[in-house]
Amino acid sequence: MAQLTYRDAVAAGIAQEMRRDSNVVLLGEDVARAGGVFKATVGLLDEFGPKRVKDTPISEQAIVGAAMGAAMTGLRPIVDLMFSDFFAVTWDIVANQIAKTRYMTDGQVTLPLVIRSANGAGSRFGAQHSQSVENWAMAIPGLKVVAPSNPSDVKGMLAAAIRDDDPVLFFEQKSLYAAKGEVPDGEHFVPLGKASVVREGKDVTIVALALMVPRALKAAEALKEQHGIDATVVDVRSLVPLDTQTILREVAKTGRLVTVEENPRLCGWGAEIASIVAEELFWDLDGPIVRITTPHVPLAAANNLEDAQLPTPERIVAGVRQLVD
Amino acid sequence: MAPGVAARSPQVSISTETRLKLYRTMLECRVLEKRAYDLFMQNLIKGTSHLALGQEAIAAGFGTAMRPDDYTFCTYRGHNHTLVRGVGMTEILGELMGNSSGLMRGKGGSMHLTSVEHHMMGSYAIIGAHMTIANGAAWSAQYRGTEQVAVCFFGDGTTNIGAFHEALNFAVIWKLPVVFVCENNLYMEYTSIHDVTAVEHPAADRASAYGLEPVLIDGNDVDVVYRTAQRALELARKGGGPSLIEAETYRHGGHSRADPGKYRPDEEVKAWLAKDPLPRYRARLLDLGINVADIEKIEAETNAEIDRATEAARNAPPPPIEIANTDVWADGGSAWRN
Amino acid sequence: MNVLMPQLGETVTEGTVAHWHKKVGDTVIADEIILDIETDKVSMEIPAPGNGVIKEIRVQEGTTVEVGTVLAVIESSAGEAQSAEAQSPQAQAAQTPAAQPAAAPAAAKPAVEAPAVAAVAQPAPAAAAPAQLAATGTAAAPVARDHGQRLSPAVRRLAAEYRLDLKAVPGSGRNGRITRRNVLDFIQRQQSAPPAAAPLAAAPAPAAASALAAAPAARAPASSPAGPPPTAMDGGSAANAERDLRPAGAKTVPFTRIRKLTAEHMVRSKATSPHVLQAVEVDFYRVDVVRRNLRDAWKQRHGHSLTYLPFIANAVCRALEDFPNLNSSVHGDSLILHPSVNLGVAVDLGAEGLVAPVIKHADRMSVAQLADAIAEIAQRSRAGKLKPDDFQGGTYTLSNSGTFGTLITAPIINQPQVAILSTDGVRKKPVVVETSEGDSIAIRPVGVLAQSFDHRAVDGAYSAAFLDRVRKIIETSHWVVEV
Repeated sequence: MAQLTYRDAVAAGIAQEMRRDSNVVLLGEDVARAGGVFKATVGLLDEFGPKRVKDTPISEQAIVGAAMGAAMTGLRPIVDLMFSDFFAVTWDIVANQIAKTRYMTDGQVTLPLVIRSANGAGSRFGAQHSQSVENWAMAIPGLKVVAPSNPSDVKGMLAAAIRDDDPVLFFEQKSLYAAKGEVPDGEHFVPLGKASVVREGKDVTIVALALMVPRALKAAEALKEQHGIDATVVDVRSLVPLDTQTILREVAKTGRLVTVEENPRLCGWGAEIASIVAEELFWDLDGPIVRITTPHVPLAAANNLEDAQLPTPERIVAGVRQLVD
Repeated sequence: MAPGVAARSPQVSISTETRLKLYRTMLECRVLEKRAYDLFMQNLIKGTSHLALGQEAIAAGFGTAMRPDDYTFCTYRGHNHTLVRGVGMTEILGELMGNSSGLMRGKGGSMHLTSVEHHMMGSYAIIGAHMTIANGAAWSAQYRGTEQVAVCFFGDGTTNIGAFHEALNFAVIWKLPVVFVCENNLYMEYTSIHDVTAVEHPAADRASAYGLEPVLIDGNDVDVVYRTAQRALELARKGGGPSLIEAETYRHGGHSRADPGKYRPDEEVKAWLAKDPLPRYRARLLDLGINVADIEKIEAETNAEIDRATEAARNAPPPPIEIANTDVWADGGSAWRN
Repeated sequence: MNVLMPQLGETVTEGTVAHWHKKVGDTVIADEIILDIETDKVSMEIPAPGNGVIKEIRVQEGTTVEVGTVLAVIESSAGEAQSAEAQSPQAQAAQTPAAQPAAAPAAAKPAVEAPAVAAVAQPAPAAAAPAQLAATGTAAAPVARDHGQRLSPAVRRLAAEYRLDLKAVPGSGRNGRITRRNVLDFIQRQQSAPPAAAPLAAAPAPAAASALAAAPAARAPASSPAGPPPTAMDGGSAANAERDLRPAGAKTVPFTRIRKLTAEHMVRSKATSPHVLQAVEVDFYRVDVVRRNLRDAWKQRHGHSLTYLPFIANAVCRALEDFPNLNSSVHGDSLILHPSVNLGVAVDLGAEGLVAPVIKHADRMSVAQLADAIAEIAQRSRAGKLKPDDFQGGTYTLSNSGTFGTLITAPIINQPQVAILSTDGVRKKPVVVETSEGDSIAIRPVGVLAQSFDHRAVDGAYSAAFLDRVRKIIETSHWVVEV
């Protein structure tokens, strides 16, 4: 076991796979010489050389398009898209081309590519560099969508994403880059499509993603100590494919579901899970499903304003308490 | 042509065999598109269809010059580009008709013809995107050291979209083995390209902005196209980087089947019909002393082939319903949950 | 006002908070029990010192503090609470006319007349309900009840499945809401009731309708009022698709009433008792000697064959004398030890299902008497002539799977018993026989006796010792059977 930061786990995951398979290549703005604007790709240029680790111009469509063309013809490219907000520049390539080409060509084309980006808020970057867009990606058939909450999952799921023969959008939470955690030594692989039960309880099931997972855990501690409420916390970590069975099983145990989402209120990933639970677990629910989200408003830059918008452990506690009797 | 813009095509000699191949290929393209037009009129082809009648020389010239493992990328006006890579007429007509004989069994349709087996890496319905994707295929070839070249076809309208500019810059800085071919048929959908473009020659006049040599050619002269193609492919294969070629041509029909093309002046249409690449080349072949019997044989075989293919495609059953939701993922399925 | 840790004895200096009955934000009235505390000498319920709302809880369950420590802070509302309470049913009647739709459309009948019927979600007139429900008095009794009861989907479903009268279920949720936990606890308490009152004891036989009459009626489940179990639905979701997914050509065989009731009983038994399986291999040599000697004479005299079963039954009864915990029932936190062994004997009726009629006071019977009793009850079972009394009072069950030559079976306990023994196939096997001259191999009739026991009642060692005793009795008794 080693203590790695979330950002170092990114580099470690990429390195592990690049050593394993010479077809894995990395491209993006400032990924090579600078080691990435978030320093998540430090050391890769030194180890693998400029043929495999490439700096690009500021041309998101060209970058992502090149990844698609390369993936169609034998390579396994990893794109560093820097900020997930930039997906908005690339949706033609990502949503219209990458997501659909295998289907339209009746299975002739395989696209084993990964697009990594820094997602989410908490770093005071302002509205255009703080969005959580994994829910947009989730809405497009043909894309796999994952968002790890801790360094071990970063390394393991990035390895799985790179080895996956389908396009995977890998959302790193930018405010978690400095977070430390235990990462197993040696080859580490965490399969996609599995949620993780990070805390077992009996009164309520809290389902959270990425930055909201540590916040939900804090809330669960407070709920137990101060209010006698024992919460299960599930880290969804893979939106597509979705581990519906684990979520349904954990909600059935407690009869109560609370989601904690960084997306703005409308159409966040939690809405889909609430819908599935309401349909498939209706007769096991002992209370309404509660969603705790960011308000439906662009994110502010100032410390206190952004903090007021994102779900905090206090808000999570309040949301759970209104549900649990 | 504007001063300073050159159309260089060295007079390399072309063998008779190649010339006949060029003629046959153009003819196949012509009969295919004409048949598609007829079938559309009979409601056997639904949806939309973008025909390249009149633009055969570009597809044929490049198709003949390319190696079998070179990559083709084109737009939704791509029936010809698919045919010239060796895909059968039946498979193309079947895809247009949306039945099980189709190249993608009806899952893609006219605008997305793809045959990875023939290195025909797709027809793309959103213009410009495919230029960035062609770059990727070229990069892959460069990475793997195979000397394959990616050839990317697009229209004059594409030269104004953002991805065009990103792709050119990207290709140049990485010195990618990619050839960009602009089929300038003078009209971007229903609008004259001159009305919407800052420069006269939409591709050739932008080449120097990316450090590329301006190349402007007569896209209806298949020998010119062929020689130009050979030169650009050779350059790319030897590591000399990308080319941007503007080939002037004209489409005989409208933008799509729904468009009768009445927005073009009659004199213009007449003038270009006189430069129809097929009769033009047929005349040249005869001038060069090629036996008319050989030419007629090609014509008979091609006409027989399109009829046979039409029958085969028409008689094919609809695609099996089960494939409606398959092949989203590499494992053949479409499951998003357990 | 503060709630303090009291001094529960002259020499006691500290106490432990065992259980909070209230939480922050709850309204309390004077003398209402709000928590339980324990010392090493005594445990006690602590009442609220006055009316108010719990503002803080400072000491959590399981924590030990010194006498005098502030455990909780109550915000006093001396006059307010009373008037609030008096007001609440009417106030809420006025405020929540929308509570009515909570009533299921089909629940036309008022619940009052037939307590056995699952009448779900009918909001009773304001005054009656609170008084009635508050009467189910444990320390955790709720204060004023909400006029419009909020019955969640989980509560409705459980009520329908278990045919509960929700009026009998105390609610400890917010505003007295009946929570899923409340219903599950209620069901569990019902199931640990003594045999006579147990609604679901013993598998039914054709004549069983009257046997179940005393229990909540086993009505045809086709449409319970307000909470049908999930039905197969169209479209999208995998779970629902799974319920209705039948391969092409599959045949649907609806459950008979017996099958359905058996199914429900089996599921409930497994849900109630943590089953543990233990087995012993028994050498039936000595029993076989007697059987062979008496075979013809017995058959002629009694009209049926002398099988292994009465010997096993006898051995079990004798062993249970020294292991009475296996002849018992779990009731709440206690084990009720039964004074005699009323032995249930499972009889498979084929299409009619499984029944387990009871031989009363089997511990007073000889092998011969047991043999006759077993034969008689089996015969009556097959002829459909069992009476309700035949199913009452069983304390231990034998399940004879051996006729089919099985190796071992893990039977399901017949609630509310705590153990069941399966007798599997007896076949000739080579065994090691130890003699003073050394070991040798002999061919002996060997069979497995497998007991499923309820791990709430006993532990593995106890059960193992019991089985060992049964085995020893069978293997070493000097069997004498009067023909």
